[in-house]
Amino acid sequence: MWDLNKPRKAILRTGVIRDFDTHAIGVKTGLVIIYIVCALIAFVSLFPILWVFFAGFKSLQEFVSSPTLLPQALDLSQYTNTWSQLKIYNNYLNSVYHVAGSVVCALVFNGLLAYGLAILKPKGYKIVSSLVMFSLLMPATISIVPLFINIQNLHMGRFFTPLWLASGASAFYVVLFRQFFESFPGSIIEASRIDGCTSLQTFRRIVLPLSKPICVVVAIYAVNGAWSDFLLPYLVLDGTVWETVMVRLYSFSSQQTVNADDLMRAVVFAMIPPILLFFLFQKKLTENVVVSGIKG
Amino acid sequence: MERTVTYRQSRRGGGKLTQHLSSWLIMLPSILLFAFFLWGPLAQGIVMSFFTTRNVSLDKFVGIGNYASIFKSQEFWQAFGNTVMYTVWSLVIGFLVPIAMALVIGETTRGKGFFRTASYVPNVLPGLAAIILYTAFFSAEETGVFNIILKWFGVERQSYLTEMGLVIPLIVIISTWKGAGATALIYMAGLSGINPELYEAATIDGAGIWKRVRHITMPAIFNLGSTLMILQIITVFQILYEPMVLTKGGPDNASLSLMYLMWRYAFGGRIEFGKAAAAGVIISLILLLFTLLYTRVNRRKNDWEG
Amino acid sequence: MKTRLLALAAALSILLAACASPSATTGNVPGSDPANDPSPSPATPPVEAPSELLEVDSEVIDADLTCTITAGNYPADTAPEAEIAVFDGYIDILKKQYPNVTVIPDYYHYTLDTYISRAVGGSAPTIFQPPFTDPPILIDQGLVADVHDALEQFELVDKFSESFIDMLSDDNGRLYGLPRDGYVMGLHLNLNLFEEAGLMNEDGTPMYPKTLQELAETGKIIKEKTGKAGLVFPASDSFGGWMFTCLAWNFGAVGENAMQYQDENGKWIINLTSDACVQALAYVKSLKWEYDILNADTTTSTWASCHTTLGTGEAAMNFAANDAVSNPTAGAGLAVDKFAMVPYPAGPAGAYALTGGTAYMFAPDTTTDQAVAALALLKINGLLPFVTESTEAGMRAAQAALRDRGGPVLPPVPAWDDEEFVAKQREISEEYSNVDMRLYNDYFNSLADGSITLKGEEPMLTQDFYREITRAVQAVIVREDRDPLAALQSAQDNFQAYIDDQLGQ
Repeated sequence: MWDLNKPRKAILRTGVIRDFDTHAIGVKTGLVIIYIVCALIAFVSLFPILWVFFAGFKSLQEFVSSPTLLPQALDLSQYTNTWSQLKIYNNYLNSVYHVAGSVVCALVFNGLLAYGLAILKPKGYKIVSSLVMFSLLMPATISIVPLFINIQNLHMGRFFTPLWLASGASAFYVVLFRQFFESFPGSIIEASRIDGCTSLQTFRRIVLPLSKPICVVVAIYAVNGAWSDFLLPYLVLDGTVWETVMVRLYSFSSQQTVNADDLMRAVVFAMIPPILLFFLFQKKLTENVVVSGIKG
Repeated sequence: MERTVTYRQSRRGGGKLTQHLSSWLIMLPSILLFAFFLWGPLAQGIVMSFFTTRNVSLDKFVGIGNYASIFKSQEFWQAFGNTVMYTVWSLVIGFLVPIAMALVIGETTRGKGFFRTASYVPNVLPGLAAIILYTAFFSAEETGVFNIILKWFGVERQSYLTEMGLVIPLIVIISTWKGAGATALIYMAGLSGINPELYEAATIDGAGIWKRVRHITMPAIFNLGSTLMILQIITVFQILYEPMVLTKGGPDNASLSLMYLMWRYAFGGRIEFGKAAAAGVIISLILLLFTLLYTRVNRRKNDWEG
Repeated sequence: MKTRLLALAAALSILLAACASPSATTGNVPGSDPANDPSPSPATPPVEAPSELLEVDSEVIDADLTCTITAGNYPADTAPEAEIAVFDGYIDILKKQYPNVTVIPDYYHYTLDTYISRAVGGSAPTIFQPPFTDPPILIDQGLVADVHDALEQFELVDKFSESFIDMLSDDNGRLYGLPRDGYVMGLHLNLNLFEEAGLMNEDGTPMYPKTLQELAETGKIIKEKTGKAGLVFPASDSFGGWMFTCLAWNFGAVGENAMQYQDENGKWIINLTSDACVQALAYVKSLKWEYDILNADTTTSTWASCHTTLGTGEAAMNFAANDAVSNPTAGAGLAVDKFAMVPYPAGPAGAYALTGGTAYMFAPDTTTDQAVAALALLKINGLLPFVTESTEAGMRAAQAALRDRGGPVLPPVPAWDDEEFVAKQREISEEYSNVDMRLYNDYFNSLADGSITLKGEEPMLTQDFYREITRAVQAVIVREDRDPLAALQSAQDNFQAYIDDQLGQ
């Protein structure tokens, strides 16, 4: 039996092992082991990332011939040389265009569709709804060849347009929005309708202002998704002046047009923005994985 | 995880038809996008799979010719077998690791936030960058990161991606490294959803830690896990980037996946769009099976259509 | 198409044998066009050039020619500033000669997959540079333009060797492109490792292997003395098969033992189970399991990474061609006096070396006017068989830049049958020479004196063929118990089925 009157600890144990267990020696050792394992998990997760940051300071000769984890010197010029020599800033800028347009499309088109499916629910909406759910599990990559041909036939290639619009057709974002909209109390929408608002006005005046949290979440996903995407961007943008960071990184690695050390630094450049984004919006991202992950 | 829909739309009023119409109009642009980017290509792929192509137009109707030549080729069966192996390995490694992570991290108090964050970071990295990063780890030269570490322990240098039996599990390890933290978070959320009173009540009944794990935690995980497992199978079945970037399907086709084979038909120097489309249809059908399974499993838990 | 491919193979050997003296140009290999590597590409760069370029050939040639072209042969944005400046110099001259032509720089690293996307999307650059393996499929798929008329205007058609006409024309004999340059496979050496292993003659030349057997032994000495790989071998993707092909020829997989041939009914037969092929694969296997001289990452090494491995001193030898000499040097930092290129080692059944090259081709919607403008630009660039002030300046600029970047300036392997032009190329390369020619003479002499037989790629579905063979090569490299005959048998069966299917035979 546990003592309810026992003074509470600052942090309550929430797992299988409860506070009352921790007195047993066996359990205490167990906890120590658990902490060691956790530290190991954190180490394994972070080590490759830290390593590549340090490896980026190596010169080509050092990179291919010295069997050490850390560089001999923290020579920042290695990074600056790669940055300017490979003109990665152009690709950064292109990626920014790609990301910005994708975020807008992701919010507008998926938001509106979810609004229709969750709130307006016009006759026959279930068909669309099932199709969207189906697409959630049947991703676009499978039909990349016909899609590619369509894009070419419409002469939409060689610019961001198809990439922007593609993020407006994401079943995942629709589901995120939809879950959120479905939690609205019906009375709010009803009230606005009684006030004589059209569906679009209701969306603008009522739904949108309330949806800031979900918009932020979708935007974060869209930023990360657009930044990391490379298959369609590669087919659409490769060889144009609009190559994004990922397209460039892929040509570096597949066509081997750069040396191994430069490739590793390019990897670092490709990783920096998502990592920064993550630390800025850490809470939002991890919280939402939980919500969305289960359904999507 | 049940979510009740709290809102029921009012459907009274005379402008019912206009309302339906305007609602559809609002959704129309998005539906067009879905049609263009997802549904249309899927349907076109089926048509295209019965044709040969020249340039980007359909050329000759060949009936099931593309399918026949795919099924006849040894490459396809290798890719199929490999893809199954990817899936099996990902169930062995990729499925269990996040559960274990969720269990241990869930038991910590101090530093929990750090452990959660740290294990989640790989997930935000661009997949391509993470894969390229691992080329340096798995290099068989003595400058390969794993070989450097092995050397500290006096172990001779090893080869990794060049070993036929190792290449698939290693690729699965990479994707597990990247994705496990995020999956673990889902499990942790699921676990934290367990009513603490359950544990307490169990304790009163004299259940020790292991018993509590077996009778309370495990069932909760299993519930979540069945859904996540099918989702994982669906994802792993489409594995493409890893063999494409790391091994080009080698050695001796040991890492060739179905998706990569499809990519090769289209863009690997043959320009066989028809055959690629046929491969796409084959993969889709397999995925469809899994999807049906998913909806079955999932129907019990959520009812999407409200 | 079949005849065209065969003709190409034959043609190349004839052409190169005839010219018999090599070039310093970028060329390529299956699946990769090093022409656009930041490192090589001696075809464009300069330093003292721009000023010279401004003064030449600036009178108007055709003021009426009005069009816009996109130049896919423009240097990469990662190229040295000087190289870009020279190309801009070429464009300036073109503008003086053809005031109404506009040139849009559109650097393009050709790969088949991205080219399809550009061609069908209507945005392929007016001029681009595919490897010799691709013109047939591009012509066949309607992805390139007929530029026969423009070539006639420049009176170039007569200067084509027969072989190039076959490769670059359709069934009606209309031409779709022109050759840029060729390459002949040899052996690249890192002399630092040869020195360390005590394999240098007193006069400073390396004791290099003359036969494949010697190569294995030399590699072993290097491995023992230096700990570095004797030979770097790219066995990934289609490279392994490409490398194997040349080895197999030297073991006798030619003539009646050819890997691909047509039987009396015209049916294409794949023959990988001849003694020659089996011996060749057994040889590769022995390099790994008996001599142990290969680099560790063999099955993930590509053509380009091999140059880095050699250049950084992680391997002493590399099967590579004259078009890539600047990759290990200028690209990976090997000093130019520590680099050598020697003939491809002979095998038990003779001495064969693979030859290939790069073409110029044109976007499918290219008009004759545009093609004329693009050819005019090539002419200024010094890449067409004309000797004028501006072409000479172009050649000088290219060689000067190569020398400045630390790449070896070598005699040319000309792509055109034009003595005056070739003589000029040779004269300029000598003027800018930065190498001890004794480190290259054996290679160039072997081409000239016919002691080595030049041979074009295997004709049918070449890239796929190489990819299929690569599997067999990988199999014996990663598995000591894999029987070469069994691996080749499997590759042969697969590819025979595939080619039957493709050709409907």
